[in-house]
Amino acid sequence: MKLIDRYNRISLLVTIAIIIVTGFVYYLTISYILTNRVDRDLLVEENEIFAYVKLNKALPQVFKSDGLKIRFVPSATDDIARSFGNAMFYNEEENEQEAGRMLTSSVKVGGKTYRIEIIESKVETEYLIRFIFFITLGIILVLLTLLLIINRILVRRLWKPFYRILEGIKLFNLADKNGINPVTSDIDEFRDLNVEVTAMSGRVMNDYQSLKGFVENAAHELMTPLAVINSKLDTLMQVGEMTDKQGEIISEVYHTVGRLKKLNRSMLLLSRIENKLMAERETIDLAEFIDDKLNEFQELLAERGIGISKDLKPCPVTINRDLLTVMLNNLLGNAILHNTANGQIEIRLNQNELVISNTGANTALNEQKVLQRFYKSPESEGSGLGLTLVKEICDSYGYLFGYSFEAGLHLFEIKFQ
Amino acid sequence: MMSFETIVKVLVIEDEPGLRDSIRDYFTEGGNICETAHDYESALQKINLYRYDCILLDITLPNGNGLDILETLKANHHPDGVLIISAKNSLDDRLHGLDLGADDYLTKPFHLSELKARVMAIVRRKSFNGNREIIFNEITVDLLAKQVSVNETPVKLTKKEYALLLYFIANKGKVISKNAIAEHLWGDEIDISDNFDFIYSHIKNLRKKLIDAGAGDYIQSTYGMGYKFGEH
Repeated sequence: MKLIDRYNRISLLVTIAIIIVTGFVYYLTISYILTNRVDRDLLVEENEIFAYVKLNKALPQVFKSDGLKIRFVPSATDDIARSFGNAMFYNEEENEQEAGRMLTSSVKVGGKTYRIEIIESKVETEYLIRFIFFITLGIILVLLTLLLIINRILVRRLWKPFYRILEGIKLFNLADKNGINPVTSDIDEFRDLNVEVTAMSGRVMNDYQSLKGFVENAAHELMTPLAVINSKLDTLMQVGEMTDKQGEIISEVYHTVGRLKKLNRSMLLLSRIENKLMAERETIDLAEFIDDKLNEFQELLAERGIGISKDLKPCPVTINRDLLTVMLNNLLGNAILHNTANGQIEIRLNQNELVISNTGANTALNEQKVLQRFYKSPESEGSGLGLTLVKEICDSYGYLFGYSFEAGLHLFEIKFQ
Repeated sequence: MMSFETIVKVLVIEDEPGLRDSIRDYFTEGGNICETAHDYESALQKINLYRYDCILLDITLPNGNGLDILETLKANHHPDGVLIISAKNSLDDRLHGLDLGADDYLTKPFHLSELKARVMAIVRRKSFNGNREIIFNEITVDLLAKQVSVNETPVKLTKKEYALLLYFIANKGKVISKNAIAEHLWGDEIDISDNFDFIYSHIKNLRKKLIDAGAGDYIQSTYGMGYKFGEH
């Protein structure tokens, strides 16, 4: 739920509650005031009766009146307390009962006690109240609507800087060199938020850059000692007399240095892809390129008795040649290396996708893990960065890279978009 | 039989002593001359005084940039071949170096056999007498036609076998590791070259083809580490 909706809901509920309570109080107050006024009228009427009785020593004649009825009822008892009360008023003209107010009092005429009942119709009061009620209701509705609209527009405008900051955070990408763009606002809170977010993104990016710089430098710095070790091994191999055991050990050391070198190169390449340092592109026909690669690998394929079935449609891509090489070397290399003897590799290429599938272990690889850095099958001697590199390259060109396992085939698929 | 020998004069400009000495040791044999320079100034001195068939140039040097040395060379129209050796596998450096007129670029770490093969290729390209042929005893390699013949009899080699033979001849008398061979033939990005069985069959095929054509048995396995090409 959006903040504004939550806010509107609460403010709406509170407003309605307050209005209902106020309306009630309002109604009671008006009703009380008006009743008081009616009661005063009744008192005036009573006084007139008293004055007439005093003067004429007789009950006044009762006239029909629109809103007033007076009745004199002979009473047996003297002690009739003067009291106000609600009563029904029968309106003969309209022929209907109306709410009314009655004053009960007494008067003595010639030693006889009469109970006076003066009833006044409250219908006009009711009308008034109803009138006031509807006006109030109308005002409330208009007010609420206005409130809602103003809230919406105003709040939306007020929150605009916030949404812009949010957008900046969403678009924030560590690999990008540019951080979060500052947003201007005269509201203190947003300004603070903006300053902090910008500062934070700057810090994070600095840290990330220095970390990456460290990794890259470390990898670079390792290259020279590796070169020394490698060259010393090359030199050592030239020493004439040696036992087979010694040769085997040298061979193993050599091999291990080779792995270290590949690992290092992959790390460097990864960081360069992330830093977008491989920007040169050219248009390459992928079908042709794959054919060349297969040619290059033909001895490997023949050695393992792996059959190739391919369906390559022309597919020009604009890509960095070195990266494409790395990508296909890894994909095809994996398809060969992790294949079974006399297995099969299928390559399907069209404008939309490249799918390389191969026979191999009869269980699916873990889809998530397979793309993780340094993940590799236990028997693999690879760096564990091969597929990470492929993924990273695909990401940098906006291709989708995925793995699936279907009918005994490991499918690696690149979707161009 | 006489083997055709090219005597090469090489200058190694490299500040890392371990690497410099290894290269010198590897290159100094059979009349080849290998001089060394360890920093910018001594390198400038040498290139101003002497000419070399090939200069191995490290880009990051104490007190200076190797690319400046390359620029000095080119500004003075010296014909020396230049092979850049750098720890930075950056395309910018590579392109920049090649733009400035370097003949090749090799990233550290490398195999000395690969370095030698590259240097020999540069020297061959640079040589004035149009060295289109490499002759090793009875084996003749026609570089233009990419043809190999033994005692004038053509031998049909696959692309890879041909590359392998050139590699062997460039490093004749040296033990070449299986890694180096695999990387030379298939590149170094793929883990697949760790599997060396197929190298063995390649070498076996090459050896068989050469022997069948009447050449001597020049390829031998050494202590399981690698292979050596040359007379016993």
